[in-house]
Amino acid sequence: MQNQPAIIAVGRTKFGEYYGKEPEKLIEEAWLAASNDCCIERKDLEACYMSDCLLPITNKLGLEEGFLSELTELHVPMEVTRSFSAALLTACHAIQAGVYGTVLVGGIEKMTDRWDKIRDDLMLLDDPWSYFAGGTPESNHELMLRAYIKKHNITGQNQDTLNLALAEIAVKNHANASKNNYAQYQRKITVEQVLAARKQSHKSLGLYDFAPISDGASALILTNESVAKEISDQPIHILGLGAGTDFLNYPAREDLSRFIAAEYAMNTASKMANITPSDLQVFEVNDQSTVMEMISLEDLGLYRPGTAWKSIHEGLQNSENTYTKKGTPLYVNTDGGLKADGNPLGATGGAQIFEVFHQLRGTADERQIKNADGVPKQGCVVEFEGFGTKAYATILGDKTR
Amino acid sequence: MSSEPIERRVSYLGDRLKACRCQCCGKEYFEVRDYCSICGRKSYGKMASIDLFFDKGKFELATYINEPTNKFMKLSSFIYGIVSFHDGKIRVPARLTDQLLCDGQDVDISSFEGREVIPRFRRRYSVGKGDVIPTISLAFTLADEYYPHQEYKIVQPTKEYELPGIVGYGVYTSRFRIKERNMERAVPFIDEDSVTASVEAGKLALIHSGLDSSLVGKVYVGSESNPYAVKPIASKVAQVLKLGEEDDDIQGVDAVDTEFACKAGSSMFKDAAALVSYPRSNIKNAMVIGADNSQAAPRGCPGGELDTFVGYGAAAFLFGKLDVIAEVEGWYSCTSDTPDFWRRDGEPFPSHGGRFTGDPAYFKHVRKAASKLMEKSNLQASDINYFVPHQPNPTFPVRIAKELGFKDEQFSPSLVINKFGNTYSACSPAGLGSVLDIAEPDQRILMVSYGSGAGSDAYLLRTTSQILDKRKRQKINVKSQAENPFIEYVDYTTYRRLKLGM
Repeated sequence: MQNQPAIIAVGRTKFGEYYGKEPEKLIEEAWLAASNDCCIERKDLEACYMSDCLLPITNKLGLEEGFLSELTELHVPMEVTRSFSAALLTACHAIQAGVYGTVLVGGIEKMTDRWDKIRDDLMLLDDPWSYFAGGTPESNHELMLRAYIKKHNITGQNQDTLNLALAEIAVKNHANASKNNYAQYQRKITVEQVLAARKQSHKSLGLYDFAPISDGASALILTNESVAKEISDQPIHILGLGAGTDFLNYPAREDLSRFIAAEYAMNTASKMANITPSDLQVFEVNDQSTVMEMISLEDLGLYRPGTAWKSIHEGLQNSENTYTKKGTPLYVNTDGGLKADGNPLGATGGAQIFEVFHQLRGTADERQIKNADGVPKQGCVVEFEGFGTKAYATILGDKTR
Repeated sequence: MSSEPIERRVSYLGDRLKACRCQCCGKEYFEVRDYCSICGRKSYGKMASIDLFFDKGKFELATYINEPTNKFMKLSSFIYGIVSFHDGKIRVPARLTDQLLCDGQDVDISSFEGREVIPRFRRRYSVGKGDVIPTISLAFTLADEYYPHQEYKIVQPTKEYELPGIVGYGVYTSRFRIKERNMERAVPFIDEDSVTASVEAGKLALIHSGLDSSLVGKVYVGSESNPYAVKPIASKVAQVLKLGEEDDDIQGVDAVDTEFACKAGSSMFKDAAALVSYPRSNIKNAMVIGADNSQAAPRGCPGGELDTFVGYGAAAFLFGKLDVIAEVEGWYSCTSDTPDFWRRDGEPFPSHGGRFTGDPAYFKHVRKAASKLMEKSNLQASDINYFVPHQPNPTFPVRIAKELGFKDEQFSPSLVINKFGNTYSACSPAGLGSVLDIAEPDQRILMVSYGSGAGSDAYLLRTTSQILDKRKRQKINVKSQAENPFIEYVDYTTYRRLKLGM
């Protein structure tokens, strides 16, 4: 597998609000961080795969590649996709095909530049008919929770526990983010705060159930196996890749209580990696909301449909940050997830990879997870575009151990 | 949406809720498709076009929105969710409309789930003052509340009449009212206007008539509150109600807006009747709608006196010669250049001549038209069963009716002013609707409209036996709307807010 793609360095900015910074400044910072982490320089790059979801809208930037070329004085091929995972997938395909040996994958988003209109943009792009009928970026999550509760007939005490489990997801993610210097919200919250926010919003989900609007950038350097072997002591390999697609119009989907695209992507990735999802110890999932984190775990095959909330609640009763799975701990969103780390769409996937990369290398500092046999060997990143309209699963592993 | 082509495409599908069904596998889609995505090419040419406009759905999942996106800000909070049709074969996003929710209110979401809902044609969201006004029928109301579901069933006509007449009608007003002293006035919900009311009234008229909408060859809409200075309401009505033969995405119908203050609609009754009688016109049926979100300056401002009387509503009448419920026996019109009430272009609210709106204007013209028509037809007041005058306020119609020799029981059934307010172009037509709701066969009705500026049209109508047969089809009539247990009363501030719209 000479052409198996491997990540040799990662970099990112802190996520949050960058009032005074141009989007290019953010990607520059992320790229420099990655570049400093290895001995790859600009001139070594054979191509760039970038992602941003909304720059043409938020910053009226079209042809972002041109800006990057000016910034870097590079004239190599550059491509832009909407999500970091999509950029990574495309980059991996090029490496696998043997077209390139070393490429940059990066993502940027500058959502706060359009603070006043961003919710309209997000909803209109995610699901136009729902937007026309009055839907908000939050409403599909709330409807999915209703669909889930009804489909699995969760009532009474069980429904209370489910609601509590969702609150605990937010609390767990904030606790994780408190150890992450790059996170947008590096503070702990309590279950009471989550519940109070829901009460204040008069809804099943409140402020603390949703990921924020963020600015940020992330980058990684991807090489083929031989380059990786040459210049890195501990490359992290891409073991599995998968992507899936679903309808734009959420109400028209067959099953409203799960994300088929995520299931499809995970199946493809785990087949390619020859790993069953339950053998993976660390997951970064796309928690645009606490509901999404819960349901994703079922879509990935970690829990039976309709049961994830039980294990989430059980796990978080006994530990600050792990769910239980057949007695073994399951680590999800150790960086704080989209909820607390932040969700600058095009850069989000890069931060998820960044986290798993460090977890597998054993360099995740305070957040480092350790099982009986040491740091985890494989991890998985799941990223969405839209409300589950597109899903990407990427399985990473340290083959040196 | 400032893109005109996108707006056209969204409203083309969304206003009528166009859908299709694969005739191979039965799968349904909310959109127009050339082939089924399951059956592939074998379904090409076998996609039956259906629509959900007259259908009812089920509110499957609900949530509460109290932080809407920018374009829905003026709604502040509402119930939103997913509605399914045909046992879940089609699911669409849905906003529950006609609900005034207070901010900070706890809402039991599950109480909305599982209930039957009816698509309603409404404004979609707020846009800039210069933009095309977006509309959609992904707004729904609960079928067990103010507006029940009614099936639109096409009935083959059985009898041709000698004279043209009314073959169906519908009176529409909103669920909201403002009540001051003894007077109740209809208040539009914030997503309603004269365009949406016109479509609603037309929909009711089609249901009542049982007429195939493709047989309507002309539609007139009279209004003085068209939200556009240039762009007809009638084109929207024609497209949404699919009037005339449909060919591609164009309706084979003539559609025109008319204007003459409050008689803009009723003035066209005779034109419609004449048109359907002209042998070479090939037009079998014509629809006339009077609709207004009656404008008035706020109280305390010049012209604000009107704000005590104005209402909201529309009335639609279908004319033809088959299965007539009331024949048009005759008419008389009169006009003089009397500027008693006007609104200059670009001004939001009308002005009026105060006391001169009475004797030299309303009374003079109504009196002239009524007495001339009675004289021409050789009839006394006692020969007429019902008198329907224009009703700008509660006193004028009573005074003129008495002066013309009509007794209380002859004119009071027509008085809708105390229920809906002065609905301008819909006012005397709604009064006529109120009388047609109760009239027996073979009764004479004298209706006299009035439009400032000024003129009157008097019509003499004679009911037929079919008025009783068709009455059963219409559950939504003047009485059901005036005495509906689900009417919601609002205060003056809310009334002004709702009336200004999205």
